[in-house]
Amino acid sequence: MERIDAVQARDHIEMVERILAQTQPRLCAGGEFFVVWGVASAFVTVIAKLVSQGILAGIWLWTIPIVLCAGALFSIVRGRQLRKTVTRTSLVQREFFNVLWLTLGLAFIVNVAVYNIFSGIAAAAIWSVAEAIVLLNIGMHGNRRAQVAGVLVVASLVAANFASTGVNAYVLAAGMLAGYGGFGLSELLARD
Amino acid sequence: MDELLLSKVRLGVVAELLNYDWVTFSELARSLDVSNGNLGAHMSKLVEADYVEEDKSFVNRRPLTRYRLTKRGRDAFATHVSQLQSLLKAAT
Repeated sequence: MERIDAVQARDHIEMVERILAQTQPRLCAGGEFFVVWGVASAFVTVIAKLVSQGILAGIWLWTIPIVLCAGALFSIVRGRQLRKTVTRTSLVQREFFNVLWLTLGLAFIVNVAVYNIFSGIAAAAIWSVAEAIVLLNIGMHGNRRAQVAGVLVVASLVAANFASTGVNAYVLAAGMLAGYGGFGLSELLARD
Repeated sequence: MDELLLSKVRLGVVAELLNYDWVTFSELARSLDVSNGNLGAHMSKLVEADYVEEDKSFVNRRPLTRYRLTKRGRDAFATHVSQLQSLLKAAT
């Protein structure tokens, strides 16, 4: 049976402390998901608004499920690629993606199943709220860019609430694009 | 004391895996600065003891092996570190 003395014990503990200090997990390595969903949600919002105003023909509504399906397909394929190629997947990151998919899943269900109960842009606002939840959740883990982006999305919600019905959807879409998409872009640019 | 974790390399592996869901073999070898052969032998022992879980796959036709800590490994690590700290305390 192997034995260990106090000197070796100290050496082992110091190594463990050094490793734990060096392996503080970095949250969020997937900037591309934010870019794709920021652009997709803004696109859906604007198309729905343009069709409701009669600027675009109703057939344009068919682009919405196509864009959403393309976004979902990209997320699944890219997620699988990342799982296979990243050298480290942190526990925090796994939790974050659980929250992300849960929040977006709930928003999607509300969008599809509760759309007719609300009037105006409630469905888009729900998406915006979901994006704000995701960003602020990341922000709570110390990501300053996510904090700023989350506040931006919340500000766009408040601004849209007080804006006229002619422009409120565009205000929301701007928040989605700048907040969600912008955060994803900044993550991609900051990636080392 | 946990005999398996008395090895500095194996203890290092478990510490490396503590904050992570999955870590690849090559990343562990790089981070701990050990040869592939040496690490492979240590990983086999940890897998046999059910301290770590192994996942083997192919990416672009190249083998990819990654590991994650099991609950048994996590518990063993916590107990072992606590025993090391007790040993240090008793010695001072």
